Amino acid sequence: MSRAVAIVGFGQTKQGRRDDVSYPELVYGAVKAAFEDAQIAPEDIDAVVSGSMPAPMEGVNAPHLYLSDALAAFGKPSMRVATCGSTGMSIAQMAYYHVASGLFDVVLAVGHEKMMENDPQGTMSTVAEPFFQRPFLAGAAGIFSMQSNMYAHRYNISEERVRQAAAVISVNHHENALDNPFAHIRMKITVEDVLNSKVVSYPVRLMDICPASDGAAAVIFVAGEKAKRFPQKPAWVKGLYYAGDEAFFGDSDKVVWESAIIAARESYRMAGIQNPRKEIDVAEVYNPFTFQELIFYECFGFCGPGEACRLVEEGVVLRGGELPCDPSGGVLCSNPIGATGLIRVGEAALQVTGRADKRQVPGAKTALAHAMGGMDQLNGIMIISSIS
Amino acid sequence: MDQTEVKFLEQVIYLPYRWAMGPVFTRFFEEFKKKKIMGTRCPKCNRVLVPARMFCPRCFVDTKEWVQVSDKGVIRTWALITFKYSGQPIQPPYITGLIDLDGAHVGFLHCIGGTDLTDLENVKKTIKIGGRVQARWREKPQGNILDIEYFEPIQK
Amino acid sequence: MTKKVAIVAVAQMGHDEIFNLNIREITYQVVKSLLAQAGISREEIGTIITSSSDYWQGISCSNSYYYDAVGGYLKNSSKTEEDGAFAFLYGYLRVMSGHFDTAVVHAVTKMSEVPESSTLTNMYADPFFQRPIGIDDLSAAALQANLYMARYGITEEQAAKVVVKNLGNARNNPYAFKKEKVTVEDVLKSERLAYPIKALDCAPESDATCAILLASEEKAKQLTEMPVWIKGVGWSVDDYFLGDRNFLNGGLKRAAQKAYAMAGISKPLGEINVAEICEPYSYQELLWYEQLGFCREGEGGKFIDKGMTSLDGKLPVNPSGGVLAANPYVARGLIRIAEAALQVMGEAENRQVPDVKTALAHSTHGLAGQHHSVVILGK
Repeated sequence: MSRAVAIVGFGQTKQGRRDDVSYPELVYGAVKAAFEDAQIAPEDIDAVVSGSMPAPMEGVNAPHLYLSDALAAFGKPSMRVATCGSTGMSIAQMAYYHVASGLFDVVLAVGHEKMMENDPQGTMSTVAEPFFQRPFLAGAAGIFSMQSNMYAHRYNISEERVRQAAAVISVNHHENALDNPFAHIRMKITVEDVLNSKVVSYPVRLMDICPASDGAAAVIFVAGEKAKRFPQKPAWVKGLYYAGDEAFFGDSDKVVWESAIIAARESYRMAGIQNPRKEIDVAEVYNPFTFQELIFYECFGFCGPGEACRLVEEGVVLRGGELPCDPSGGVLCSNPIGATGLIRVGEAALQVTGRADKRQVPGAKTALAHAMGGMDQLNGIMIISSIS
Repeated sequence: MDQTEVKFLEQVIYLPYRWAMGPVFTRFFEEFKKKKIMGTRCPKCNRVLVPARMFCPRCFVDTKEWVQVSDKGVIRTWALITFKYSGQPIQPPYITGLIDLDGAHVGFLHCIGGTDLTDLENVKKTIKIGGRVQARWREKPQGNILDIEYFEPIQK
Repeated sequence: MTKKVAIVAVAQMGHDEIFNLNIREITYQVVKSLLAQAGISREEIGTIITSSSDYWQGISCSNSYYYDAVGGYLKNSSKTEEDGAFAFLYGYLRVMSGHFDTAVVHAVTKMSEVPESSTLTNMYADPFFQRPIGIDDLSAAALQANLYMARYGITEEQAAKVVVKNLGNARNNPYAFKKEKVTVEDVLKSERLAYPIKALDCAPESDATCAILLASEEKAKQLTEMPVWIKGVGWSVDDYFLGDRNFLNGGLKRAAQKAYAMAGISKPLGEINVAEICEPYSYQELLWYEQLGFCREGEGGKFIDKGMTSLDGKLPVNPSGGVLAANPYVARGLIRIAEAALQVMGEAENRQVPDVKTALAHSTHGLAGQHHSVVILGK
């Protein structure tokens, strides 16, 4: 049996275009907020872990060194992880293992991004290796559009039905974001708005897609036996896992998406969850693209294969439903990529401890947090609960 | 491995950047344009940090008190750069150095010059750790770090 | 949680072997070699941690490129950036947690494929204050070296002795990139790059890869008769602005203290039998002796003068040739750990130091050593 690990603090910055601060100042804001939430000072931290998108995104090599001051890392063990979109989850998992190893009791995890200082799609195209895929993949939109088409075709779902379900997700999440003061995009939209928005790369439209955002978030992980020293109710990490596919986009099926399925299955096993639909009260699913969220519902066992549209149509995953997804508005409404996966973890922690303010799902006790990275390649999940 | 010649793919990657300075660095450079070097003092450890910062990295608290430091100081260390690399911002030969400006508690990274850099013996005689230097400002400052051309030894 | 973790196998590939291969092929081959050595299949591996750098690869999200090549297909694999020692440390934490009984840790760097080290390390600097001054790894090391010389009277000759020692040692190392007999004169006469640093004072740029298999106590005993136990670890980072730093006293001392405390070492000079340290610049090896507590502050030059760190000295340092002999920036930290492990296993062939019970491995990255890690391995 390994050491229990809990989350006792969470801070995030306002996300969006943050021309008002330099990159280190942005990170400082999130770390300060987390310290205030947990009522601790830098000397209480035993180790720091951090991460963001590839360093070329902000044009500074080894960001953990550039930002070491802002990360409150001076004099401390400090480590960086970068796994594209799944970075935030990788950071959370790295912090978890720092504590679970027994070597550190209090660990600061920070995710950060200042992508508005660059052309994000330009950087993202450098994720593809130059020999075979870089000329074609056209950044994120290209990949996810291909995946959406595969999904609809696989289950013989009409274009109208899938587009409708995706649009309803978009409307629901944008509505949720109105209750999230930190979210980047906060606007009320209708299904018609989504269906009529500009096509970015068929079938994906502008309002099916996340923004590019600046932002940072910080989470404090502690050893279970020390959790009661902190003012906030602890949110326990009950299960976690991560898995990845091959590098070549064409090598694996991205509809029955093994890495997502395995990440969920192993997390559930660790957390003792047998019926996710019943036992999970709220899910912060990584959703840069609405269509992709449908696939995740199926991979996470919320419904059977091909049935995700029904979950939306019946309102199961919408606000007020049986398993509301992304009450924060999700990645769809706010996407400082390096922080996003960590924000899912922080939001999950707020939900299960009743601290999610206006976006609180009533009575939530167990939450799923998820992040995806690479060209549809990497998936990580964490199960967080108020039950120790 | 068989005898076929193995190939290499060459590519140059261009990525455009536009970095936000934030309010503190913006103000620093506005003052710099007026030939003033500004620092901020940490309320906890009392160090004056240059360039001016939003926070103290060691105490991790906001540093809101602005303090002007001198444009004269003492050489903490220096290095004569005579090698080239792609994208090098300054053409060699040049001297890079850390200067402890009067009034600051941390070193200021900049260039040292005002002497013949092609002669190492001359450099070693003229540029000394512990030697006093003062900033040589550009005629028309633009509000960036190169508004100081270099620090030069103060003639006695 | 497990109480102890061991290294059960190591594998490396040097520049000549991999210069013509792409990173996926290199990664696959070194991991394949590692698994074969350990007699374990990919399916049995618990977790994989790899270290690389997007800038030092020209491919962003660098590990996604070789995720499957490192054996990660549908496995729980993560990545740490910029320092191969991080891959080791994170893998160690994962096994210590009890969630995994084995971890493959890996690092790869191909300096031959990317812009010069100075170009990429100039990118370590922020765009507003330090980058426009042209600061890079070499010029930052020169600032540090000049201060070191002035403070303690360290001489260029003493620094040159490091080069003579390490490049000489490298001749015993089949994985080294640069192995030649050089004299102090050769070093002193070599081209001045950034006074006081000259061409031969600097590490080359080369390609290499390394993979290490970690296992929990129980599993380690099943896999090998010669487990190398991880006795102590420590790592620490310094301030970002070069002007804020104390060049002569910082992260390495803190990292070493943590590792020594964990390993129960109070007298490093007496208790450590061999050390593999990262010395991209000759002067830094002398300074690291002091920071590691091998000798007193200011005495790094005298320490090498007395021959203490030669192969036949009291505490041989870098029998592999160190970073001066092979410098794949990110992988070099993991290679130090692999070399230290080989010493403990007694499998370091021609570079073996006799009677090694305890070995130290050190890694650094960042300008003038902004970050350091120390690992203590033993029987």
